Amino acid sequence: MLINYFKIAIAVLKRRKFFTFISLFGISFTLTIMLVLAAFITKVVGDNYPDKKRDRCLYINHIELCGPNSMNGSGLSFYFLDHYARSIATPVKIAISSSSAGTNTYVNNKKIAVNYKYTNADFWDVLDHEFLEGKPFTAQQIANGEHVTVISEDMRKAYFGNATSVTGKYIEADNVQYRVTGVVKNIPSTLYMLYSDIYLPYTVSKRDYNDKGYQGGYMGILLAESKSDLPKIQKEFSQMVARLPLPDKQYDHINCTAGTFINAIVNTGNEKHSGLSVAITALAVFTLFVMLLPTLNLVNINITRIMERSSEIGVRKAFGASSGALVQQFLVENLILTLLGGLIGIVFSAIILAVINHMEFIPNLELSINYMVLIIGLVICLVFGLVSGVYPAWRMSRLNVVNALKAQ
Amino acid sequence: MLKHLFILIWNKKKQNSLLLTEVLVSFLVLFAVFTLLVFNYRNYSKPRGFEYSNVWVANFNNDLGTTNGDSAAMFYDNLRRNMLSLPQVKAVCFTNANTPFSGNTSQTGFPYKGKDVRSINYYLAEDSYKDALQLHLLEGRWFAKNEGAAKNKPIVINNKLKTELFGTGKALGQLVGDDKNQMQVIGVVEDGKYTNEYMPAGKAMYVRPDTSEYHWMGTAMIRVAPGSDAAFEGRLYKLMANTMKNANIEITHLEDKRKSANNTTLVPVIILGTVSGFLIINVALGLFGVLWYNINKRRGEIGLRRAVGATGNGISGQLVAESLLLATLALLVGIFFAIQFPLLNVLDLPTGVYLWALLFAIVFIYALVLVCSLYPGKQAAAIYPAVALHED
Repeated sequence: MLINYFKIAIAVLKRRKFFTFISLFGISFTLTIMLVLAAFITKVVGDNYPDKKRDRCLYINHIELCGPNSMNGSGLSFYFLDHYARSIATPVKIAISSSSAGTNTYVNNKKIAVNYKYTNADFWDVLDHEFLEGKPFTAQQIANGEHVTVISEDMRKAYFGNATSVTGKYIEADNVQYRVTGVVKNIPSTLYMLYSDIYLPYTVSKRDYNDKGYQGGYMGILLAESKSDLPKIQKEFSQMVARLPLPDKQYDHINCTAGTFINAIVNTGNEKHSGLSVAITALAVFTLFVMLLPTLNLVNINITRIMERSSEIGVRKAFGASSGALVQQFLVENLILTLLGGLIGIVFSAIILAVINHMEFIPNLELSINYMVLIIGLVICLVFGLVSGVYPAWRMSRLNVVNALKAQ
Repeated sequence: MLKHLFILIWNKKKQNSLLLTEVLVSFLVLFAVFTLLVFNYRNYSKPRGFEYSNVWVANFNNDLGTTNGDSAAMFYDNLRRNMLSLPQVKAVCFTNANTPFSGNTSQTGFPYKGKDVRSINYYLAEDSYKDALQLHLLEGRWFAKNEGAAKNKPIVINNKLKTELFGTGKALGQLVGDDKNQMQVIGVVEDGKYTNEYMPAGKAMYVRPDTSEYHWMGTAMIRVAPGSDAAFEGRLYKLMANTMKNANIEITHLEDKRKSANNTTLVPVIILGTVSGFLIINVALGLFGVLWYNINKRRGEIGLRRAVGATGNGISGQLVAESLLLATLALLVGIFFAIQFPLLNVLDLPTGVYLWALLFAIVFIYALVLVCSLYPGKQAAAIYPAVALHED
């Protein structure tokens, strides 16, 4: 049966090539947009380098002091993370790092912009950076306040040229000489919480990291023993925050949560509007915007094509085909069409992604079509095919046999 | 004639309602895109209000180790003198983080004649601020050395704030603010587009920092001689780093910041424009296909009309007019929705932007429908009555 439908569908597609072209153009172009978007989102959200243990991690990147008339949001202080966040009972390790900030260095009369990040020793255990050479700095080195650093692959190239072994060499940043202990694989800047060019021990920070206020420029990642511990840790963390003494009379509560990765990257810092719902709404509006017109267009074309086939439909009805069977046939035909368009769309998006990667709009962000993207594409195709096929199929099934046969 | 066309459209209302919806949605999409384009273009065509080339911005988190305002001011004065001793440095001013294209804003408000004026960008401006950014003075004067002696705090405002406060009246010498904190307008400068070149300038006031404010400053704007290179920047960096021992310092160029600030507006517009461009091509093809098919189906009717004396031009004219009428119906509905935006002031854009966008969208839709119906219409005109009627 399906083979028959398939044969008919191909025959129909071949009959009116212009209409086929319009349909395929609309479907493939819509799917290309959605696939490129999906590739980008799955890459930014789903790529788990360097935080491979993401499912066991909770992220703390924002604290808010709230009062009836005032609100003061920012990152956290080192002291808050090292002292209060560490005080809860369950977690095993806590990675602490400053949000990346910029500075410059000048080599051979050339300027290099440098993003730097201060970290603690657990940072290297919680996250799994891939070391191309050397190793991370140790807790002992941090305690001694040694001027050591881990640099990124890009930084090695920018500062040392094509040298392959730079461990033990010195790099100057912010007017200070640091000894390189290791080189790690690049992280794309879209992973803004973890991205940096050079990593430095927090003890060499020029700012006072012992400041006892809650707010500062740091973020923390709590690594749990197992995934099942996460809800418990979140609860303990909230209880700890609720017990914190308020720093000023104008505030009546503190808002700070340990959230999952997704919650953390879209954290807008507003407790009332979660960043996640804003992101999903924006995505839904864009999807509707992209899908609505091609769907309408396809419905239009489909109806036109059905009217063209009224004699065929009339004959089938006259020989006893039920409306249901006709609707089913038409939906299958339409799905075949959308899947064909989907295939073309995948080819297009592969080309576009290759161009985007080649032009390096975002350095180190290698976009690709992966299983996740393909599944999303398939789902979009099916939805697209069904939505654009249902109304025309219904119209077709209601065609009057006599009129349909008479039309010819 | 018109009534006749209406009847023809009404007779095929099922098919036409779908076409109508498609044109309506296309119109709304076009309206949105044109609103964005017109808004950005209008902002872009206005003068920038300052000069970005050869301005470097240094950000630092300096810990002076003192809370004394006078010594902080002295420290920065000293640093400025050292920087100015370099031949390439033309002007240096210390200010807050809300420099042009930085994405940082700092807003304030004050009462004026019983009305609360809000969302005024607040810029800490030393005497050299105007030279560093080359602001254009429209009226009055900029701050001078002996300003501290004045009874009311002197401020310079921009043209937009002037218009809101005083309309077309005189601004110079006016007092604003509450009784405790009165400020006197001494000059008016041209609006500066600080966000980026595609966004409108905000209301702005420039205030001379008093010594207590130096403690919090973390930004310097430095105007350098044209052609200053990285080697010189390295020297300047060393000079600053050696003076501010406890600071992390970053020097950026306003020219680079301008590019990335502009991109925050341009990139979404380009993406949206490309996507809608494809959507419209898609719609155009679909429209063309459907009209073409419809005309083929009406060969009998057209043949009959030709036989009773209608000219070829008359036939194609009728078909084109039918499509345009259909578009008009869709547009009427679309305009009803679109006009709500300026009427209800949904997005706080100037009405002119909406009207231009409306005009462009209408013209575009008509052009689209016209192009899509011309060829099918011409084909219909070529139908021979004998052949068409013979088929039936």
